Amino acid sequence: MTHRPNDEPGRSVLPRWVRGPQDFVGGIALMAIAALALWASSDLPGMHGFSFGAGTAPRMFGILLLGLGFAIMVVGLVTGGPHLAAYHWRGPLFISLAILTFAISIRPLGLVISGLASFLISALGSSETRWMEAIIVGICLTIGCAVLFPYVLGLPMPLFPRFLIR
Amino acid sequence: MNSYSRSLAGVCLALTTLLSAAVAPARAQDYPTRSITMIVPFAAGGPTDVIARIVTAHMAQTLGQSIIIENVVGAGGTTATARASRAANDGYTLITGHMGTHAASVPLYPNLAYHPEKNFEPVGLLAGTPILILARKDFAPKDLKDFVTYVKANAEKVNAAHAGIGSVSNVSCQLLHSILGVQPISVPFNGTGPAMNALVAGQVDYMCDQIVNAVPQINAGTIKAYAVATPQRNPSLPNVPTTAEAGLPAFQAQAWNAIFAPKGTPAPIIAKLNAAAAKALDDENVRKRLLELGSVIPQPADRTPEALATLVKNEITKWTAVLKPAG
Amino acid sequence: MVDLFANLTLGFAVAFTPINLLMCLIGALVGTLVGVLPGIGTIATVAMLLPITFGLPPVGALIMLAGIYYGAQYGGSTTSILVNIPGEAGSVVTALDGHQMAKQGRAGPALAIAAIGSFFAGCVATVLIAALGAPLTKLALAFGPAEYFSLMVLGLIFAVVLAKGSVLKAIAMIVLGLLLSMVGSDIETGASRMAFNIPELADGLGFATVAMGLFGFAEIIRNLDAGAELDRTLVQQKITGLMPTRKDLSDAAPAIGRGTVLGSILGILPGGGAVIASFAAYTLEKKLSKTPSRFGRGAIEGVAAPESANNAAAQTSFIPLLTLGIPPNAVMALMVGAMTIHGIVPGPQVMQKQPDLVWGMIASMWIGNLMLIIINLPLVGIWVRLLRVPYRLMFPSIVIFCAIGIYSVNNAPTDVILAGVFGLVGYWLIKHDFEPAPLLLGMVLGPLMEENLRRALLIARGDWSVFVTRPLSAVLLAIAAALLVLAVLPALRAKRDEVFVESEG
Repeated sequence: MTHRPNDEPGRSVLPRWVRGPQDFVGGIALMAIAALALWASSDLPGMHGFSFGAGTAPRMFGILLLGLGFAIMVVGLVTGGPHLAAYHWRGPLFISLAILTFAISIRPLGLVISGLASFLISALGSSETRWMEAIIVGICLTIGCAVLFPYVLGLPMPLFPRFLIR
Repeated sequence: MNSYSRSLAGVCLALTTLLSAAVAPARAQDYPTRSITMIVPFAAGGPTDVIARIVTAHMAQTLGQSIIIENVVGAGGTTATARASRAANDGYTLITGHMGTHAASVPLYPNLAYHPEKNFEPVGLLAGTPILILARKDFAPKDLKDFVTYVKANAEKVNAAHAGIGSVSNVSCQLLHSILGVQPISVPFNGTGPAMNALVAGQVDYMCDQIVNAVPQINAGTIKAYAVATPQRNPSLPNVPTTAEAGLPAFQAQAWNAIFAPKGTPAPIIAKLNAAAAKALDDENVRKRLLELGSVIPQPADRTPEALATLVKNEITKWTAVLKPAG
Repeated sequence: MVDLFANLTLGFAVAFTPINLLMCLIGALVGTLVGVLPGIGTIATVAMLLPITFGLPPVGALIMLAGIYYGAQYGGSTTSILVNIPGEAGSVVTALDGHQMAKQGRAGPALAIAAIGSFFAGCVATVLIAALGAPLTKLALAFGPAEYFSLMVLGLIFAVVLAKGSVLKAIAMIVLGLLLSMVGSDIETGASRMAFNIPELADGLGFATVAMGLFGFAEIIRNLDAGAELDRTLVQQKITGLMPTRKDLSDAAPAIGRGTVLGSILGILPGGGAVIASFAAYTLEKKLSKTPSRFGRGAIEGVAAPESANNAAAQTSFIPLLTLGIPPNAVMALMVGAMTIHGIVPGPQVMQKQPDLVWGMIASMWIGNLMLIIINLPLVGIWVRLLRVPYRLMFPSIVIFCAIGIYSVNNAPTDVILAGVFGLVGYWLIKHDFEPAPLLLGMVLGPLMEENLRRALLIARGDWSVFVTRPLSAVLLAIAAALLVLAVLPALRAKRDEVFVESEG
């Protein structure tokens, strides 16, 4: 999905006659999602005889969402509502990066390395982080996870890098 | 922070190079030197999983290494099978495939990411699971002959049930329908449980399903069975005739489970695994548990990798003929 | 009655053997752990522990697996309340008011009332299974596709009612959830829908993936926004008593009772009844309350009712398994697997053929519930202390736990990335005042609704009147219509007043 914080126009971009910018933009985004869903299901067969095709339900709800998005947009246009909230980049960026690191490294590098790495990367997401403390807690937590998940709960999960086990 | 993470990375790198240099590649004679992963392409507790667990538990004793079952579900088992086809061909990743993943998938999924013959080495057949024709208890036809006439005459009215596209119940009923030359409404359910529930509740008329799910319901009289689609009657349902006895010899269907290894796995390793599987099938306890499930244990001649290769080839041809025109 | 007594005596005799007591305790402990850890689902754990039960006697094995199942329902409320991460569909609703209570420093009473409610519900439901299991089975069989469709429609209306903001936006979120639920392969034709040729999407989006993203990751990202630190330190200072006050208890008691009744009935339905139980209970409380505006802002009834309902439903969902031998959900299907591995094929006759197994299991449920409340009440103190851990250390830990949890569901790294994407989506939703709970409920109910609609129409050969000519279905639809009117009318009126005021000024 495409909703990155910086895609959103700031409040100055919207003309003054938009009285509830939060709903106005929200409604437009929902309409965009609905349009995407309608486009993505456009190649699916619809009703054949009395039975539903694969595309019937997605189209039904896609059109419904389009309508609802439009209604929300109109509500945002005519009734007063809150302004667009401010977005921050630091949290979203580093949390996403930490999740991505975990996803990419869990299979080749194992839980120990990827867990610690994503702990530290996500810690970058806050200005409050104290590094000594974070590293110590990160290491303890990783050890805890390495015992808890594969051994106590028996979940099959690589612990160490693949090339070390060979 | 930078200095921390950099030194950490440095230590890791040094350690890993050292260790990887020290470990020599494993040789086939020593196989297996570590635990083996057995991928099961279905949820734990399903028929394939139960069979795989019973047999691999015994194989692990023979091989002297543990066999870890990894259940990977999705897309009728093809997700897991595709993953297994890409695994290292060192004998440490195996898969328990079945009729669906290694035969019916070929016509069912046009964009299949693997080919059962080209991407796998057959190891050995484990068990066959007979398929039954089942109906709700108050469904009009008395026996299979009646059933055939009734379904042919009322193809517009009857409702068949199946456990999802690509499931054994789905493809085997398609085979039945193609033999009868009819195309009744097939109501899809999400798994065998809900389909069986609907049959017991009388919401649908009939379905084709594996014996293991059906035996207790038949014995309790909540549903009835017309025939078993194998050459012999099954010991767990001695009163249910075979399709040949009941007048529909053309309908022969049996779900099967077999072990496969990724293509290029060395022959000595395949031989070792095959021997271990064959030994498991001779074990009294294993046999007893498989028979309790209603499974048919393959004869020694049918347990070889070559026999499995032939089976896969024949099954692909058979299901392609049935499923291609329909899909 | 004499029979029941004899059966229960047999059951308790089986359940009270040392080995079975131990199994029950292990099950309850593992279940609590699984419930508390975000993302780790009951299905995954039961699947992983299945091989361990190989070496155990069958009764012990099943007692343990059952313990994990209902233990997870107890534990699931913990993360919902403390960190706003629902681990299962049933605890989405608990998070609404539970987490608000935690923010007001009342995490202790919230956790305690959840445990107490669950215990009461568990006891009642156990008795119900023992006394009325067989006759109640008829209910499970009376529900065909048409009835399930109507039940799901009713469920979606519940999802509208539980929203605290704009009804219009809540409906939009439900529809978005329904659309998301349709990603993946179509049940009837197997065609790939809106999956953009991504193989990992072929089977659709998992509940854990979306829930961890929309609730877990989004909440963290929002908490990291500058200016949010102040609120968090306030929360930590506000923590008051650990146990509910007398007033809390008297407020929650009727909610627990009603939740138990609703949960017990809905739990019996194999096709998703248990999913609806918790938010049906929540909706009922909100509608019955004299002050519905408190809901979503830390009402203790909003924790007590759904928690009692989902625990009652977790127990009564054993009924179809025990009386029919048909597993109503994925965890039960695993238990069927466990039975078959032990050579017991469950079916309608399992109660006669294996009375010690069935009654031992039923008796163990009551014992298990007792163990769970003994385990959980003292834990409340520890959980609340956990809230005092500085957030700068909390949030990376939650990220790791969520990531491992999501990964463990399917061993799929893509799921983790998808959850990250839903984290960003959730952050955006929060910024635009859209509520994630209705979205998630739409996603859970969507497949059930669509499948049953299509099944019903297939069987009725396209005749839409089945939904009103079948009495059960008609009743459910009538309730749904009435609820919708009740939910929309006041909102419309308020909106009109608002417009009016706006144009005046």
